[in-house]
Amino acid sequence: MTQSNNNLPAPEVAELDLGYIRLSDSAPLVLAQELGFYEKYQLNVTLHREVSWANLRDKLVVGSLDATQMLAPLPMTTALGAGGLRANLLTGLVLSLNGNGITLSRALADNLAGLGGSPGDAAGTSAALAELLNTQPSLSLTLAAAHSFSCHILQLRLWLRAGGIDPDSRVRIIVLPPEQMVDSLARGIIDGYCVGEPWNTAAVQRGIGTMVTSGFSVWNNLPEKVLGVTDAWHQANPASHLRLRLALMETCQWLAIPENRPQAARALADPQYLDLPERELLPSLCGKLQYQRDGAVMDEPDFHVFGRYQAGFPWRSTARELLDMSMEMLGGSATEAERSAVVQQSYRPDLYRQAARHLGITLPATDNRPAAAHDAPWQMAPGVEMGADLRLAPLKAGGH
Amino acid sequence: MSQDSDTSDTNDKHTGASTPGVMVLDDRPERAAMVEASLERAGFRVVSMLSTASGLLHQIEQHKPDVILIDLESPDRDVLESLAIANAHNPTPIVMFSGTDDQDFVSDAMRSGVTAYQSQTLTPDIVRPIIEVAVNQFRYFESMRRELRESEQRLEDQRAIERAKVLVARQLSISSEEAYARLRRISMDKNQRLADVARTALAALHIDEPEQ
Repeated sequence: MTQSNNNLPAPEVAELDLGYIRLSDSAPLVLAQELGFYEKYQLNVTLHREVSWANLRDKLVVGSLDATQMLAPLPMTTALGAGGLRANLLTGLVLSLNGNGITLSRALADNLAGLGGSPGDAAGTSAALAELLNTQPSLSLTLAAAHSFSCHILQLRLWLRAGGIDPDSRVRIIVLPPEQMVDSLARGIIDGYCVGEPWNTAAVQRGIGTMVTSGFSVWNNLPEKVLGVTDAWHQANPASHLRLRLALMETCQWLAIPENRPQAARALADPQYLDLPERELLPSLCGKLQYQRDGAVMDEPDFHVFGRYQAGFPWRSTARELLDMSMEMLGGSATEAERSAVVQQSYRPDLYRQAARHLGITLPATDNRPAAAHDAPWQMAPGVEMGADLRLAPLKAGGH
Repeated sequence: MSQDSDTSDTNDKHTGASTPGVMVLDDRPERAAMVEASLERAGFRVVSMLSTASGLLHQIEQHKPDVILIDLESPDRDVLESLAIANAHNPTPIVMFSGTDDQDFVSDAMRSGVTAYQSQTLTPDIVRPIIEVAVNQFRYFESMRRELRESEQRLEDQRAIERAKVLVARQLSISSEEAYARLRRISMDKNQRLADVARTALAALHIDEPEQ
């Protein structure tokens, strides 16, 4: 199926330390180990479960990790020094699209349902929340996201704006570690959150929260996690990096097959990886979710996308959008030239193309993809299948 | 545990002339106390010690720390960084990658489990000794824990051997000295630790080790 290893240059280093976070979409990193794809490319990988994105970044930069799962905006915001720490990071492979959800406390979600915002209806729940906030001016809501520079926070802001809610003034958005979300919701410290799975399903199954929308419904097929390395590591180890991307791309192709997803959930549940009940991991990985406890099971085949719709491709157009939206939150301190340079350095389609050619994957001719143009899968070129790319529009003009 | 900054400290801080105020975020209270004591001996000022992120924002507003020392493995680091992003006055990650020297120092600190955040008004030469104190205390704490683990292990081994000696003697109707000699012989023949031989014997006799 794939070309032999003989066509590949020998790895500069074969022993690799990779970092990941306790989330369902760490599936590519974990399953590559379980299925032997690292081994196939003569890599001996040790996986390290880390507790914060800050840890992954720091360990990457000081070299105690060779590569890590990383939030899609982070290579760029780190290269710009947003938040105080500057380091040249890059990605040549997107690991997953989508995978997040927005969950509210059951009481709040019930309120919204009473106002016409049913769970699963992204625009409807946002409009209902706007109505609730308008009729109760003193209502103060705190929502959480997993990181300042994440798709979670951008999806949360898009969702709020769809109903006409100003995310900077009408609600308070804080950062919380994913693992603290469910408990904080149960204790009433927060009213809702946007986070990756299984932390939405966990709240639903435990009867603590109701998921009101998937990340997919807010922004179709948004790159979520990428494989991050430092520029220096890539320069020193181009062959190891290529082999690592190949191992992960083959794993993502395996994960693209729906019948394989239950096995992925079983592997992830293991104590040495996520150490979570399989029943919390299965729904989103199998694309069959409940938005509320005892509610209908919804078909969401694209809730997590691995290896389909050119999911691995590090689109520069999307990178630029993620960067602009992140900088908007910061008050936009980078110039046009700086932003453009950072996108060029951090998002590397050339590296993706190099690996894709080894696997015989048909490549798009451009490094940019259209935005907000397709409501269903479509063909960019013969053999280049793309996913839907719609997103919620802000209710009022002049959003961003 | 926690020590509030007094008015004069706060005033001094705004002139930038006094010793910086340090906040210690650590889920191990014994270790945090060691860091605090050690910092104070070195003439630094600990404004607050916290074990979790709950109330982190409030605590930072209240104490306005110049330096935050935090356990590398704390999940609250992303929360802490979000505060720096939201408000430029809050401490940001220490600028560690300016020179080779600094990078070695920071890698070293990270290996001991310490990370630090500093206000941008401070220069690295002020912050570095504070981090060094924490690094030393983290290492000392780790070596104490290791010694404790080892002595607990020795004690458990001794208990298993004593119990196996008594029970093997009873089972085979021999003296406990003879039982001990047999266990030792198996240990030498099989090249296994005596405690492991004792545990195997206890398991074979379907007897659990005593709880305490």
